[in-house]
Amino acid sequence: MTRLGRLLSYSAAIALIGGTAFAEDVIIGLATGQTGGLAPFDQPSLAGFKMAIDEINAKGGLGGKYMVTLDIKDTRSDTGATVQAAQELVAEGVKVLITPCDADPSIAAGQISQSAQIPTLTFCGTTPTITDAVGDYMFGTYPADNGQAALLAEHAISKGYKSAYILKSPDSAYTLRLPEYFAEVFTAKGGTIAGEGTYGLGQQDFAAEVTKIAALDPQPDVIMTAAYEPDFPAFLKALRGAGVMAPVLGSDGIDSPTTTGLGEIANGIVHTTAGFPADGTPLGDFYKRFTEATGAAPETVYVATGYEIPYILDAAVTAAGTMDGPALRDALANLEGVQVLTGKVTYKGTNRMPSRDITLVEIQNGARTPILTATPDPASVPAP
Amino acid sequence: MMDIILQQVLNAISLGGIYALLALGLAVVFSIVGLINFAHGELMTVAGYVLFLGVLFALPLPFAVLLAIGAAALAAVLTERLAFRPMRKADATSLLLTSFAVSAILRVLFQNGISARPKPVPLPSALSGTVNLGPVHLGAVPLASIVVTVLSLVTLNLFLKRTTMGQAMRAAAEDFQVLRLMGIKANRVIAVAFGLSGALAGISAVLWVAQRGSVDPLMGFIPVLKAFVAAVIGGLGSLPGAVAGGFVLGISEVLFQAFLPEAALPFRDAFVLSVVIAILIWRPEGLIPAKTARRS
Repeated sequence: MTRLGRLLSYSAAIALIGGTAFAEDVIIGLATGQTGGLAPFDQPSLAGFKMAIDEINAKGGLGGKYMVTLDIKDTRSDTGATVQAAQELVAEGVKVLITPCDADPSIAAGQISQSAQIPTLTFCGTTPTITDAVGDYMFGTYPADNGQAALLAEHAISKGYKSAYILKSPDSAYTLRLPEYFAEVFTAKGGTIAGEGTYGLGQQDFAAEVTKIAALDPQPDVIMTAAYEPDFPAFLKALRGAGVMAPVLGSDGIDSPTTTGLGEIANGIVHTTAGFPADGTPLGDFYKRFTEATGAAPETVYVATGYEIPYILDAAVTAAGTMDGPALRDALANLEGVQVLTGKVTYKGTNRMPSRDITLVEIQNGARTPILTATPDPASVPAP
Repeated sequence: MMDIILQQVLNAISLGGIYALLALGLAVVFSIVGLINFAHGELMTVAGYVLFLGVLFALPLPFAVLLAIGAAALAAVLTERLAFRPMRKADATSLLLTSFAVSAILRVLFQNGISARPKPVPLPSALSGTVNLGPVHLGAVPLASIVVTVLSLVTLNLFLKRTTMGQAMRAAAEDFQVLRLMGIKANRVIAVAFGLSGALAGISAVLWVAQRGSVDPLMGFIPVLKAFVAAVIGGLGSLPGAVAGGFVLGISEVLFQAFLPEAALPFRDAFVLSVVIAILIWRPEGLIPAKTARRS
């Protein structure tokens, strides 16, 4: 069915029901990478997002009165194509724009929606500078890098680690800044940095770097990195192969079956994640519902964080009573303690990167166990 | 200090070996059809997914590995039959674009047909163990890459020198037209070249995946880039050149990573590529240029 057809049939359906309340059709535009390098993040986020929109539409729409149609454009993970898609969506009159799980295309697309006064949310972009780089219409949704780093550093201090080695890659903001934020908090709380290493994304061979770590004297108490697959497993294998047994701290990028599939060398890894689907928790129940609905379990927590976004929007639309840009922006920016699957989300008092719960999990024998869920203390979160 | 230098030299040889296998895969095809097959990386991905399935269904590992290598060889022959054979009379640029197209199509098929997320390939923990040779440690996988590279090079050499098909392929690399005048079937020589290239892609994929622990749709991009650089340094189309180029690339990557000062490390690839440029200025045809009767 064409988009127009879909719109007409929705309107017809609403007209037939007679509309107990005044209902309005709105379009939410998504310019995200459904193929290419961002697809591992944007595809699962979209799957969750769609499921939530269907649920909300079935209950009468956003804020109880806005029936949502999605216009989904694939950007092929290309920043130029993201800008083009954003332009088309803005011209079409979307009320909300969703951008990819990455800083660069989100910032580029945000420039367009910012001047058109359209609230814009990034799927799982974690760079805390995304929002200020664009302006007051740009919102993050996912736990930011500096928050993750703060929680990891507090954990390291509480475990009594005195010195840390950090491995970073200048190839992306995530792999560069997250370890730097960690170092900032860790040293502020009394730790020391024993050394720093650098790698390239997709480097594959870590033998040279690891030989240098093995030669450190004294050895660091802990090793921290924001490397994710395929780099993280290659790094860990090389590290353990060189006989370095220091505990390893990682970020949400290694919340993937590959990490648990590494076997006993992964034992003792502690990493951050947006949430852990324990039985009986809202997230655990969502995993069951998603599995029943699609026939396959979520491959990653991004499905859940994508699912949460329409509910965050729903809370804002309910508060604003309208989907007009400026009012919706203000309502979003003032949200406080919105209950979602993985905890509570607050925008009030932030730079529009939400303050929200982050979970620390530990890997033992191929399984994860949650060890802590907390909102990082704003006083210890480093400035972006 | 001696230990560390020895350790880094072993690291360098191990990475160089994988690059040599990768570059060899490109060179085998280029020497005969004049095509740089940028879909070579996706052949590795095919092998990776077959290995993933093999491990998932708990097949004995050697069997899963053979199956993966076979699948890559089969995929190579199929891409030749479906995409490259119809383009055989086309010029080099069209062939190159065809290989980009094959690569892009395969990547989207993997992303939308299998999963955009990486699939874990958990290998037995024996493979993440370490072998201690005196003061130096060598991981099981890097050690395996050295052994496998040597074995593959020896086997390939025997095949090219001792079998009729091998001799036909060497002749085809020097002058394809004359070979055809001798009554050798072109299709068969080319199909065997692609199969061989696919098998080499499969072997390197197994080593590559063993090191990274997962397979994903875009995994072929970096290895094919490395292979291309290595093949160019060595001399495009020259098999000994590809091996030499692979080792030069791997060794310079590891040595720069090991001995550059910390502040210069983010520019490691720039240093490596400077070496590549220096080699090409010194020997524009590559380290060991191909013997060829091709006239441009």
